[in-house]
Amino acid sequence: MKRDLVAAGALWLILTAIGELLAVFVDFYPLAKADKGEDIEHAFRVLVYFAVPVFTMVVAVLVYSFLRQHTTEFPTDDGPPLQGRGSIPLAWFVITSALTLAIAIYPGLVSIPNIFGDEPNPDLVVEVEGMQWTWFVSYPQHDVARVSELVLPVDRTVRFNITSRDVLHSFWIPGFLMKIDAVPGRTTTISLKPTKTGSYQTDPNLRVQCAELCGLFHSKMRIPVSVVSDEEFAAWLEEQAGAADAAPLSEETEAADALSGGIER
Amino acid sequence: MTHTAEREAPASAWSALVPLARGVLWGLAGFGLGVALIAVLRAGAGRSAWSLELSITFGYALGIVGWLFGVGVWERWGREWFGLSTKEGPTGWQRYFAFTLDHKVIGIQYLATFLLLFLLAGLFAVLIRAQLLSPEGAVMGEGTYNQVMSLHGIIMVAVAVASIIGGFGNYFVPILIGAEDVAFPRVNALSFWLVPPVAVLLLTAQAVGGWDSGWTAYPPLSLQNASGQLFFSLAIITFGLSSILGGLNFLTTIIYMRAPGMTWGRLPIFVWSMFSAAILALLFTQFFAAAMLMLILDRIADTSFFKAAEGGEPILYQHIFWFYSHPAVYIFVLPGLGLTLEILAHFSRKPLFAYRWAVGGFLGIVGLSAIVWAHHMFVSGMDKRLIAPFLVTTEIISVPTGLIFLSALGTLWMGRLWIRTPMLFAMGVVFNFLIGGVTGIFLADAPTDVNLSDTYFVVAHFHYTIIGAEIFALMGGIYYWFPKMTGRMYDERLGQLHFWLMFLGFNLTFLPMFWLGLHGMNRRIATYTPDLQGVNIFVSVMGFILAASFLIFVFNLLRSLVWGAQAGADPWRARTLEWQVSSPPPVENFPAPPVVSGHPYDYGVPGAPAHGVVGMAGGSDEVSR
Amino acid sequence: MAVAAAHADVKARRPGINQLGLWLFFASESFLFSALATARFVIAGTDRPDELNQALGLAITSVLLLSSLTAYLAECAIARDDRPAFLRNLLATIMLGLLFVAGVVVEWSTAEFHLSEPYGSAFFSMTGVHASHVVSGMAMLALVYWLGLRGHFSAKGYWGVEATIKYWHFVDVVWVFFYPALYLVSW
Repeated sequence: MKRDLVAAGALWLILTAIGELLAVFVDFYPLAKADKGEDIEHAFRVLVYFAVPVFTMVVAVLVYSFLRQHTTEFPTDDGPPLQGRGSIPLAWFVITSALTLAIAIYPGLVSIPNIFGDEPNPDLVVEVEGMQWTWFVSYPQHDVARVSELVLPVDRTVRFNITSRDVLHSFWIPGFLMKIDAVPGRTTTISLKPTKTGSYQTDPNLRVQCAELCGLFHSKMRIPVSVVSDEEFAAWLEEQAGAADAAPLSEETEAADALSGGIER
Repeated sequence: MTHTAEREAPASAWSALVPLARGVLWGLAGFGLGVALIAVLRAGAGRSAWSLELSITFGYALGIVGWLFGVGVWERWGREWFGLSTKEGPTGWQRYFAFTLDHKVIGIQYLATFLLLFLLAGLFAVLIRAQLLSPEGAVMGEGTYNQVMSLHGIIMVAVAVASIIGGFGNYFVPILIGAEDVAFPRVNALSFWLVPPVAVLLLTAQAVGGWDSGWTAYPPLSLQNASGQLFFSLAIITFGLSSILGGLNFLTTIIYMRAPGMTWGRLPIFVWSMFSAAILALLFTQFFAAAMLMLILDRIADTSFFKAAEGGEPILYQHIFWFYSHPAVYIFVLPGLGLTLEILAHFSRKPLFAYRWAVGGFLGIVGLSAIVWAHHMFVSGMDKRLIAPFLVTTEIISVPTGLIFLSALGTLWMGRLWIRTPMLFAMGVVFNFLIGGVTGIFLADAPTDVNLSDTYFVVAHFHYTIIGAEIFALMGGIYYWFPKMTGRMYDERLGQLHFWLMFLGFNLTFLPMFWLGLHGMNRRIATYTPDLQGVNIFVSVMGFILAASFLIFVFNLLRSLVWGAQAGADPWRARTLEWQVSSPPPVENFPAPPVVSGHPYDYGVPGAPAHGVVGMAGGSDEVSR
Repeated sequence: MAVAAAHADVKARRPGINQLGLWLFFASESFLFSALATARFVIAGTDRPDELNQALGLAITSVLLLSSLTAYLAECAIARDDRPAFLRNLLATIMLGLLFVAGVVVEWSTAEFHLSEPYGSAFFSMTGVHASHVVSGMAMLALVYWLGLRGHFSAKGYWGVEATIKYWHFVDVVWVFFYPALYLVSW
C-alpha cells in the first residue's frame, strides 16, 4: 500500500509538473487589448495554476487504480475494506475548504473592485444603446451621436454607459474581455482602458458583440471596434461631426424599426 | 392468471389504446370548454370571442384536467372521491400504456419516454452542429436556428430533470429501501401522465412560430416573441407540477417506507442522492412555475412584472428563474453522482469510501444551492454589491462536491476494478465531472466570468456536467440495471464499443468548445466570425460521432431485449436489495418483507452481515456475499 | 405471516405518510407564494397606493380568519361523531369562503389602480392566485360536505376531512402574510 501511494503520488507530481508548465506557456487569450482584459487574463491564469494539481490528482488516482488492478472477469477477491472513517476525509475537507477560500479571496474578491469598479473621471464617456439588432454609440463630449461603429483612443480611460431600447442585450468586446448586459430601463456601466491599437479588419475580436440572446439576428448584432491614436481619433470625430449633419437621425431608426417589424407577434 | 391470458386475446392490441384515446378525447373536450368559456366572457364584454393566447391558456387549463381524468385519474382514483369504487387497470403489456400504479411500470414509462425525447433533442443538436459547419450558417436561417436551439435546450433540460429521477428513481428507490411501492402510487402515476402534454405542447408550439428565447426565456424578449413562448410557459408549469409531485412522493417514501433495519446509515447512496434531489425539486420548482405565471400574465393579462417601460423589472425574472434553475442543475446531477458512486462501489468490490462524508456532501449541496443563484447574473446589470457574496457562496459549493469526489476516488483506490460497461461509464463520469467542476470555478469567479459568461466556455462547462456526469451516469445505470429490469443481459462488446465512441466523441466535441469560448465565440448564435470555422468544423464532426454512438446503444438495447441471454437474479453479485430478488422483480417486489442488518457496500469486510435478507414468507434464507 | 405483518405495518404508517405528504405539499406551495410576495416588493417597493379600500381589506381578512375557526369546529365535531355540528360548521365555512371571494370580486371591480402598474400587477396576481386556492378549497369542502351528508366519515376515519381543513388553514395562513404585504406595508 505504501508503494502504491508513492507511485500514485509520483504520477501526480509528474502530471502536475507537465500541466503547470503548459499553464505558464499557453496563451489562453489572443492578446488582451485593454487593461482590465489583461487583469482578467491574469486571474484566469492564476485559477489554472490552482486547477492543475486538482485535476491531475483525480486523474492520477483514476489511472493508477485502473493500471494497478483491473479484470474483465469477475474478481476473485474483494478489495481492501477501506471505510474512510478516519482522519483522511477530515483532512480532505480542511484542505479543500482552505483552497476554496483561497481562490475566493484571490483572484476572486480581491479583483472585484478593479474589474467591476467605475472610473469616476474617465477621459472619454461613451453612451451605448442596444436595439434589435445593432448598437448605437454616442460620444456626448464630442457631439457625435448614434454611430454604429466604436472608435476609441488608445491608452485613455473610457466609461461606457449602456442601455437598451427593447430587450436584453449584452455589450461584449471579446478583445477587451469585458461585458455587461444592456437592460431596458436601466443604465449599466463598464470602465476600461484600451492598451493596444487595432481594428476589426485585422482582429475579429475587436467588435462589439451582443452576448445575450435577443431574437432573430442576435448572432449578427455586432459592430466593429477600432483602437487608434489620439490624432486619428480626433480626425475620426471631426469626420463624424460632418457626416451627422448630412444624414439625419431618423433614417437609420426607421430602417432598424422595419427590421424588427419582421417578427410577427 | 388464466383470466389475464384470455383477456390478452388478439382484439386487445387495440384495447391498449382505449385509455389514451379517452384521455385525448376528454382533453379536447376540456380544451373546447375552456375556449368556449373565454369566448362567452369576452363576447359579453363586447370583444372578439377568440384571443389566441388567452383562449389557449384557459383551454389548456381545462384540457389538461380532461386528459388526466380520461387517461385514468377518474377510473382509478377520482371515483373514490365521490364514494364510488375504483376500477382495476389493465394487466400484461397494456399496463405500460395506462394509468398504472406499479412503480416499476412507471419507472419504465419514464425511461422510455425520456429516452425517446433524448434522442429527438439529440437530433436537434445534430442540426445545430450542421448549421455551425459554416460561419454564415450551413443549413437554416437565423429564425429556424433560434427555434431549434431553444427546443433542444428545453427538451434536454426536461430529460435531465426526469430521466434518472423518474426512471431509476421510480423503479429502484422502493426496491433499494425494501418497500413494496412508493408512498403515493396514484400521485406517482399522475406525475408521469402530466408529461405527455408537456411534450405535445413543446412540439406543437412550433406550429405557432415556436419561441426563440432559449430555455431561459428572459423577458422582455419572451414578452414580444411568437406565441410559442406561451406554449413553453404552460409546458413548464405542467412539468413543474409533475416534478413537485415526484419530489413529494420520493421524500415521503424514503422517510416512511424503509424496511425494518434500513436505518439512515444503511441507505444505498443512490437513495441519498435521490432524497437530496427530491428536496430541491419539491421546493424550488415553484419558483420556475411562478416566473412562468408572471410571464404568462405579462403576455395575456397586461400586468407589468417584467416590462421596464411600465415600471416592471426585467432582472427580477432572472432572480426568480435562477433561484430555481441553479438548484435544478443539482436536481440533474445529484442522482447521477449517487448512481455513479453506487456502481463504483459494486464494481471495485470495496466499501463505499467515506460514506457518511458523501452523504454530507449531498446534503451540503442541497443546503448551499439556495444561496448561489446570482452567479448566473454577474454581468446582468444587477446591483454590484451582490457580486462578492455570491462569488463566495458559489465557490464554497466545491467543498461538498469535493467530498463526493473523495468518496469516488477512495472507493476506486486499490479496488478490484471489474471492467464492465456500467463501470466504464461510472469512471467516465468521474473524469468528465472533474472537467465540468474545475471549469465551473472559472465561471463562479466573477472577474473571469465577466469574459466567459454567455460564451462557448459556458456551453462546454454545462455540457460537461449534464452530459458528462448525468447522461453518462444514465447510460451506466441503464447497462447496470438492464438485466434487473428485463431479465436479460445486454451485449457486453457492443456496450463497451458504445462507451468508447461516446466517451471520445463527447470529449472531442466539448473540449474544443472551451477554446472557442476563450477566442470570442458567444453562445446561441446561428452565425459566427470566419476565423473560428476550423475548430467549429472539428467540433461538428466529433459531435456527429457522439450522436452515432447512440445508434449502437439503441441497437444493443433492442436486440438484447429480445435475444439477450438470461441474466439471472444477480449477474453483478452485488449486495444491495434489488439483486436479492428475481429479474425482473415480482409485482410486490419482495415475496416477504426484507430484513436489513448490514451496510450495503461492505465488500471484503471480515464478518460483515449481509445487507439485507429477503426471506420466503416467515423463513430466513441467508443471502450472503 | 410476515407478509400480513408487513401489510399491517404499512397500514399503521399510513396516517403518518399522509400527514407528511400534505405538509410537504404545503412547504412546496409556500415557495410559490413567497415568489409572488418577493416580486411584489421588488417591482413595487415597500409602499402601497392610498386608494386601497382598507375597510374591505380588513373585512375579508376577518371573514377568512373566522372561516378557519368554523373549519376547526367542523373537524372537532367529526372527531367526536357529532354529524349535525360537523355539517353545520362545514356549511358555515363554505359560506364564509364565498363571502371572502365575493369581497375579492368587489375589490377587483372597484380598485382604483390598474393592472399594468407595478403595484397593480402584484396586487391582482397575488390576490388572484390566493383566491384560486380559496375556490379550490371551497370545492373540496363542498365535496366533503356532500359526502358527509351521505354518511361518509366518522370519528374512526376522517382523513379526507382533516386534509381538506388543513389545506383551508394553510390557505388562510398564506393570507395572513399577503394581507399585510398588500394592505399594511408602508415605509
